[in-house]
Amino acid sequence: MPKQKAMLIDIKRCIGCASCEAACKQLHGFNADPEPTLSDTAFTVIESRGDKFVRKVCMHCNDPACASACPVGAIKKTALGPVVYDAGKCIGCRYCMIACPYQVPRYQWSKLAPFVKKCDLCSERVKAGGQPACTEACPVLASIFGDRDELIADAWNRIRTDSSYVPRIYGTTEGGGGSVLFVSDVEFEKLGFRPLPTGNQPVPTLTAAAMGDSPKVVIMGGTILSALYWITQRRREVALAEAEERLTINRINQERS
Amino acid sequence: MTARIRSEITFWRVIVAVIFVTGLYATYIRFFEGFRASTNLTDQMPWGLWVGLGTLCGIGLSAAGFGISAAVYLLGMERYRPILRASILISFLGYCTVMVGYLYEIGLPWRFWHPVVMWNERSVLFDVCVCIMTYFTVLTFEFAPAVIEKLPWKGLRETILRYHHKILIGVVLAGVLLSSMHQSFLGGLFLIAAGKVHPLWYSSNMHAIFYMSAIPAGLALTVMAVYLSMRSLNVRVDFTILSDCGRMIQMLLIVFLFFRLLDLTGNHALHYAFQRTSEAGYFWLEVVMFMLIPIALLSFDKVRNNPDGLYWTCAIVVAGFIVNRLNVSINALQTAMGTHYVPKWTELASSVLVIAAAVMAFRYAVIYLDILPKAKPQLPARWMSNNGLAAQA
Repeated sequence: MPKQKAMLIDIKRCIGCASCEAACKQLHGFNADPEPTLSDTAFTVIESRGDKFVRKVCMHCNDPACASACPVGAIKKTALGPVVYDAGKCIGCRYCMIACPYQVPRYQWSKLAPFVKKCDLCSERVKAGGQPACTEACPVLASIFGDRDELIADAWNRIRTDSSYVPRIYGTTEGGGGSVLFVSDVEFEKLGFRPLPTGNQPVPTLTAAAMGDSPKVVIMGGTILSALYWITQRRREVALAEAEERLTINRINQERS
Repeated sequence: MTARIRSEITFWRVIVAVIFVTGLYATYIRFFEGFRASTNLTDQMPWGLWVGLGTLCGIGLSAAGFGISAAVYLLGMERYRPILRASILISFLGYCTVMVGYLYEIGLPWRFWHPVVMWNERSVLFDVCVCIMTYFTVLTFEFAPAVIEKLPWKGLRETILRYHHKILIGVVLAGVLLSSMHQSFLGGLFLIAAGKVHPLWYSSNMHAIFYMSAIPAGLALTVMAVYLSMRSLNVRVDFTILSDCGRMIQMLLIVFLFFRLLDLTGNHALHYAFQRTSEAGYFWLEVVMFMLIPIALLSFDKVRNNPDGLYWTCAIVVAGFIVNRLNVSINALQTAMGTHYVPKWTELASSVLVIAAAVMAFRYAVIYLDILPKAKPQLPARWMSNNGLAAQA
């Protein structure tokens, strides 16, 4: 079992130079023009919030909503950390986009054969022992890549030694945690990090309860319906037998008279 | 000759022609120019009218098939047998429209078969796909006798129908369970989007709400279809059956209204209905059209026992149901997604095309197959050749 990797983004250190955006676009061969929000040609963007810069990127959840939602299992969480997308399976239903609590997946709306597009944490490079293009390009080490445990230790170290940090690492437990971690010197809520509907529970738990009930409901419903059917059949039989009996009695009476 | 041609051009035929021409053009744009040209969908609104109207309403309004077949076959309510086949046909055609719509909706329609072989048991949408596929098989099976009994070979016909009859009850039972499952799972699709769906619609009971609202709406559509067949297709059904359906719709809507209110108060979401937001407006539109007006109207014997009154009440129920599904799938998401979506004409035109095709298929099935009991054809004898006027006189 390989150690889970992760990316740590330090909002205090980020200078908003957008080197990560450019490196990402270059690696994927996209148009180099900066874009205001995530798109099918921008897997990471820098958003300014006040005087802070917040990187928007796939959170690579440990139990991703998109992966649980995908009807054909095209999205998978890998052991190394990246949440990857198998374009060969995708049917283009876009349920992943409905499911993702961070609104990360994007769609190629203008293509005739459109696919879902999102950051894959440079899965191929990571598998080969390297690091993502964005962390490699960051000139101030605001985004770094490494073993998840070590990064969490590093982040706590920063929080302990520098009191300006908010004592919280976003991404360790939120929605079950993930492979992208944030530390910041401003409250996360003020930076546009919306609280998840499930708190520290993975988002797929929202559907698990309803789906877990379905076998019970089916078995119960099936039993009740079969019982009702048996009762109606039985009543019909009884009614038929009684009618026959009446007929016979009538005939006998007629014969007697 | 020209007068004859002119008399063939009626109002409704022109409408149908317009629907087909625009719909086919919209279809061309969808499949040869892509989503950007044919829809107003964006990354903020990845599901639009096709999912809201085509899938959610298409499946929901097809709920009568399992409802009435359960009533007749399993609960022995023989009274509803005359409209059984019509309700199964409506469901069958409804699922046909959904499956055609599926090809419009997904980005890679030539991969429509992927869910059959690539499974993800955790996905609600996968369960919906599987249930729809299997339930469509069930519907085909339930509807098949209407076609088989028209086969010209007597021996084959009777053999098939004999075996058909032997397993029918089991299949009906499976069908009721399957459709109950995916009617509710359609609501379950939105469970995972907590925080995106407006609290007036989001609830951990969304699947139950979808299930409970689909049955009255499906019944209402069946009543409408049977009424129209009676009016224009020489069909004669005991009208009290439809009145009783009206009573049933009313009861189901009352139960649904109470459940919805309890659910909203349970989620502490009722106060959102009294804010000055567009969501509150959509919510009241849904409550008034789908619940309050029909419940009120159906409590009058005068409305329920009057064919036109019942028909228009059912039309309001169906319209209100469509408002509900569009609310959940589009209006409830707009604020959280920070977008405003209005469907493009191509989305509407292609949806209307598919619906119109289903309506026409229903019409021809009623004409050529034994779907609903028909009035005895009047054979004009010589002395009443002017349509019986002489005999009446």
